[in-house]
Amino acid sequence: MVRLGFQEDGVNRKLGWCATSWLALLCTTGCGSEAVGGPTTVTVSGSVLGKEGEILRRQLERFDREHPEIRVEMRPTPDAADLRHQLYVQWLNARASDPDILQVDAIWTPEFAAAGWILPLDRYAPDTAAFFPVTIQANRWQGELFALPWFVDVGMLYWRTDLFDRAPRTWEELDRDARRAIAGGTPRYGLVLQGARYEGLITVFLEYLGGFGGHILEGGRVTVHHAPGVRALTTMRNQFRDGIVPARALTWHEEEPRFAFQNGEAAFMRNWPYAVSQMQDGARSRVAGKFAVAPMPAAPGGRPTAAFGGAQLAINGFSPEADAAWLVIDYLTRPEQMLERAKLVGQFPTRTAVFDDPALAEALAIPPAQARAIVEAAVPRPVTPVYTQLSEILQIQLHRALSRQAEPEAALAAAAREMQALLDRVGLGRRQVAGR
Amino acid sequence: MPAAKPRGAEQREARLAYGMIAPAVATILLIALFPLSWTVWESLHLHDLRMPWLGQPFIGLENYLEVLGDGRFWGAMAHTLWFAAASVSLELVLGCVLALAMNRTFRGRALVRASILIPWAIPTVVGALVWRFMFEGLEGWLTDDLRAWVPVILADTWKETPFVALLLLAGLQGIDPSLYEAARIDGASPWRQFRYVTLPLLVPAILVALIFRTMNAFRVFDLIYVLTSGGPGTATEPISLYTFNSLMHNLRFGYGSALSVLVFLVTFALALGYIRLLGRGLTETRQ
Amino acid sequence: MAALVVAAAFPFYRAIAGSLTPEEQLFGGAPLWPSPPVLDHYRALFTERAFWLPIRNSLIVAGTTTVLCVTIGSLCAYALARLQFRGKTLLLGMILAVSMFPQIAIVSPLFLLLRSLRLIDSYPGLVLPYLTFAMPLAVWLLVGYFRQLPAELEEAAMVDGASRLRAFREVIVPLALPGLAATGILTFVYSWNEFLFALSFTLGPERQTVPVAIALFRGQYQVPWGQVLAAAIVATAPVAVLVLAFQRRIVQGLTAGAVKG
Repeated sequence: MVRLGFQEDGVNRKLGWCATSWLALLCTTGCGSEAVGGPTTVTVSGSVLGKEGEILRRQLERFDREHPEIRVEMRPTPDAADLRHQLYVQWLNARASDPDILQVDAIWTPEFAAAGWILPLDRYAPDTAAFFPVTIQANRWQGELFALPWFVDVGMLYWRTDLFDRAPRTWEELDRDARRAIAGGTPRYGLVLQGARYEGLITVFLEYLGGFGGHILEGGRVTVHHAPGVRALTTMRNQFRDGIVPARALTWHEEEPRFAFQNGEAAFMRNWPYAVSQMQDGARSRVAGKFAVAPMPAAPGGRPTAAFGGAQLAINGFSPEADAAWLVIDYLTRPEQMLERAKLVGQFPTRTAVFDDPALAEALAIPPAQARAIVEAAVPRPVTPVYTQLSEILQIQLHRALSRQAEPEAALAAAAREMQALLDRVGLGRRQVAGR
Repeated sequence: MPAAKPRGAEQREARLAYGMIAPAVATILLIALFPLSWTVWESLHLHDLRMPWLGQPFIGLENYLEVLGDGRFWGAMAHTLWFAAASVSLELVLGCVLALAMNRTFRGRALVRASILIPWAIPTVVGALVWRFMFEGLEGWLTDDLRAWVPVILADTWKETPFVALLLLAGLQGIDPSLYEAARIDGASPWRQFRYVTLPLLVPAILVALIFRTMNAFRVFDLIYVLTSGGPGTATEPISLYTFNSLMHNLRFGYGSALSVLVFLVTFALALGYIRLLGRGLTETRQ
Repeated sequence: MAALVVAAAFPFYRAIAGSLTPEEQLFGGAPLWPSPPVLDHYRALFTERAFWLPIRNSLIVAGTTTVLCVTIGSLCAYALARLQFRGKTLLLGMILAVSMFPQIAIVSPLFLLLRSLRLIDSYPGLVLPYLTFAMPLAVWLLVGYFRQLPAELEEAAMVDGASRLRAFREVIVPLALPGLAATGILTFVYSWNEFLFALSFTLGPERQTVPVAIALFRGQYQVPWGQVLAAAIVATAPVAVLVLAFQRRIVQGLTAGAVKG
């Protein structure tokens, strides 16, 4: 028999009260707040990490001072492209009215535009002639402009000035130079690049492809499997096979080749401009002062090609403050702001005029004329709303060919079949689709 | 055995029961009902966010048919099944070993127990990053179709074995020591003791571990996303990553929802199978 | 045995070592132990990134979820274990089924739902989903635990004049503390580590939890390994402490719980 005693009912009642008030407190303090009347608030979503965040904040503060009736807030979103994309999809699909301004990746514009999520900007008569043509082309969908180019990222060839006299201009030259360089044992790698199965691989392949004169899409027809494409992929595959590019590059994104090159382990690297400033830092880099940048090589029949990347600013289609948002975007893409960004973060401006400014020479770590040439050689990825799906199909086949599970010709043919089938199925097969 | 209850008492009891389960049911209905029905609803429609001009027509089971005809889906399914089978069995075996070892009293047992539990306490994404950090420098692992599974399964086992070990340890501690005594007196070897005394009495614990581990292994996402992104190629792509791609990457909500419903059905079937195979009446009230 | 402990601890050790290594040495083969070890990353966590904010948020969300889950779950589990009513199997099935749906499919509609309830970027907006998805394991464990407590206990209390509910509250609950502790720690760990919902339902640093904050460390291309590892160590600490403090209770709690069937 167990003896039991009972507690006062009062204790239990007190407990109940505590619980309820705790819950109530949570709800009131925790619930999302709403903006009240006053100055118009515009929210910007984008990269607010580190120096980029600092610059943005500074520029937005200046804007606030110039436009006291508008208050701009920043909403941090992950820099990892997939995560930011997912958040945007979630918000826009729910017709969220904020953030008003979205920092958009180079390949998202047609997708969001087709979905009706971002505002066409032509009504504000932006000065499109002042920007590089490729940047405008990549942001047009069905003839309308949907985002303003903010800064541009282009693929470049980094080469060691202490090993070579000049940058190779053809793929054959590069292969030869690389072989010669690694014959001695150091550096270990001839060429390092992004070889993992992700979007970066397409950007790299795009440069090989353009170098042989090929295109992924031409007017709604897939042409990646034609002769230039096969030659491009074969060249790339052979570099892996012959050890010019290490096999482990098949898992590399952007940072791994940068570290390899930075530690002096590679003769050449293909990467974006962000790597320059870190490799110039004498304290951390073994190649400070010993490298330079050049356009990617080409082959007879092609031309040096750079993959177009970077960020653009778009206005949320459901935003009630579209006009105010436009003022912010317009401000952020002015030449002064672009110059400031170049100085502090090293990002390439998208306005042609800024490259004529002598101040840019001190700002960029590479000669502006060179940077300009590379930007003018930039090629966008196919501008179509189903690009991510097309890209996935192509990524898989490219990776299979590079890891020698399939021959380049067969891999590209398979990719082209699937890509064309997709385009035809969704009715974009023969429409006018921008992108080369 | 208490006497049969009078009618009124039964009704009172049932009313009390409904009152007690009410908060749980209310929460679940509030939070889960809409999303689940929405997903099923979406799976029966064509809904591609990228192309709103196609509308959202009802297409019945077409999405499901497309899924069943999709090679990549079957690949992802196979990967998931393989991953679940390999990691869960490894976790069961290792968990058992750990549990047996922890069952004995020795100095520092508390510390050992705590340190075993640490991997389980680390957020999945962080643990996966650490494993990636460790394997990235090594040649030939993450680049190889088959070998890329090794870090994946290792990472999952490392993280989840403690949980399994805990469950099994609890089961072990519930076994009456006198049974072992009896077996020893009868001359049984440690292995036979394990096989004929421990194992049968451990079955309920194993069942719980199996069900929950399998359910979670089936939904593995964070780990593989961070460790291999499904690569090389699509060699390590599990079904949830493929669903994520369809939904968030390709914006095909109808198709992605159909994928989710199918995953749910498979998981449910597996759980039912386990229960039928290994479990007894879990809803019986012990009198 | 020792081998297993070492194997379990090794990655953790690497993480600690990495968090104390200066940035440059971190890539392509970090040393097994840095010399000299630096505290830069930890400092940066709290000065540059205000890491105490996500920690606070995680503590509040995980704590609330745990308390509610144990309370609501134990009520439900007790009813399942001891009371007769129609629809037991249905209830169990429903609870279990809810957690079998892939999270990624649920995120979008759940976002829509929470938004219409104005719970985005709020504590309840995270607590409610966590509650729903932590419930199955909690209920299962507690059902088994309650069932192995002898029925005579409540009988005795009720004979003495207490209502069923009171008997539950004052007799069963104190005896079931180990089981409740085990359930509590499981729920806490789940809420502490959860990433997808936290990412999707919060908008800013005021409400973001630890896993989200760590994910936000990443730049477009770069992963600041030093800080990520330091954050991982800091993020694991509360849970480790809890586990160490309650490990005996936890094992006790799982003893003769669901595992006895």
